[in-house]
Amino acid sequence: MAVTVSIPTILRTHTDGEKSVEASGKTVAQVIDDIESRHGGLKDRLVKDEKLHRFVNVYVNDEDVRFVGGLEAEVTDGDTVTILPAVAGGMR
Amino acid sequence: MARYESLIDTLGGTPLVGLPRLSPSDDVRLWAKLEDRNPTGSIKDRPALKMIEEAEKDGSLRPGATILEPTSGNTGISLAMAAKLKGYGLVCVMPENTSAERKQLLQAYGARIIFSEAAGGSNEAVRKAKELAKLNSDWVMLYQYGNPANIAAHYEGTGPELLADLPTITHFVGGLGTTGTLVGVGRYMQEAKPEVQIVAAEPRYGELVYGLRNLDDGFVPELYDPDVLSGRYSVGAYDALRRTRQLLEQEGIFAGISTGAVLHAALGMAEKAIARGQSADIAFVVADAGWKYLSTGAYAGSLDEAAERLDGQLWA
Repeated sequence: MAVTVSIPTILRTHTDGEKSVEASGKTVAQVIDDIESRHGGLKDRLVKDEKLHRFVNVYVNDEDVRFVGGLEAEVTDGDTVTILPAVAGGMR
Repeated sequence: MARYESLIDTLGGTPLVGLPRLSPSDDVRLWAKLEDRNPTGSIKDRPALKMIEEAEKDGSLRPGATILEPTSGNTGISLAMAAKLKGYGLVCVMPENTSAERKQLLQAYGARIIFSEAAGGSNEAVRKAKELAKLNSDWVMLYQYGNPANIAAHYEGTGPELLADLPTITHFVGGLGTTGTLVGVGRYMQEAKPEVQIVAAEPRYGELVYGLRNLDDGFVPELYDPDVLSGRYSVGAYDALRRTRQLLEQEGIFAGISTGAVLHAALGMAEKAIARGQSADIAFVVADAGWKYLSTGAYAGSLDEAAERLDGQLWA
């Protein structure tokens, strides 16, 4: 089971500067654990008290995982997981 | 009756138009609420005018006062028009990487612009505005990200208008920014027709915009209430542009780029309904027209080129 995980600039210190990494797992939590086994420190930045950090958004194929089970959201082979910091955005 | 006492009185009551060519079937239909038909051409006239009205009522905004607002565009333009007509000053704190049209429009209305750094996007503008508010205690910051009047404008206006025009509504899709539109319409629907799904489409920008120094500098608007949402989708510039052009080519609607992101999510909902064999009436917001984005090159050349040009810009 391989998924592509895109890493935001601010967290690339944990992936040796890589913009995206391959990972495996059936849930978002398993994917994060799998990356953690190779790139130590990332999990601590993403997860607080077994929940996603308040200012971190994670999307599976563009859908915010908080609405589909949070860390237990399912991922399947070929999915794209995108990690982004929460920002105020644009033209308000 | 199409006669009004002044421009401000033309707020709201925007048309809801069917999209027969983009709708996948007779049972799964898309509807666009044309919010560009507001006094200054965007949905932001609703919260901007409501915030001013409330501040006048509670006495925090008095004749001759100066309004301060972190805004990279439409809210600033709405406030600038109202400030002009009502005799207030306006200071907008705005990221430097916004389109030329917005800057020129704000200046034409007589607003003063204070720029914030491009990196960090509106986060920086919010931070800087909060700082300026402390330094200038006589300025009145309406603060669209935390002002309940923003939600009230949609709870009292956008929501009821949608349900009145489309009693069979099953989904509402809106852009996620201050979160005012989605939370306001969402709360109204929870009471009036709780089975309506409230879906957020959030723009996904280029890396520059997410260039925070620290994760704890992140920002979630004070108004955000995830409990009213049934789903939230992140839409990149390429898909947003593709849908913006499709809306123009197939339905003749010349919309801003954020509308493309919203349409992308709306079409995703339509696809799901078709796959489940359900009927659906999906309404979404056209937040503004395309005029202010022409200089970004969004409507010219190939999609790839246009998407590349938008990288690093705050396009929604």
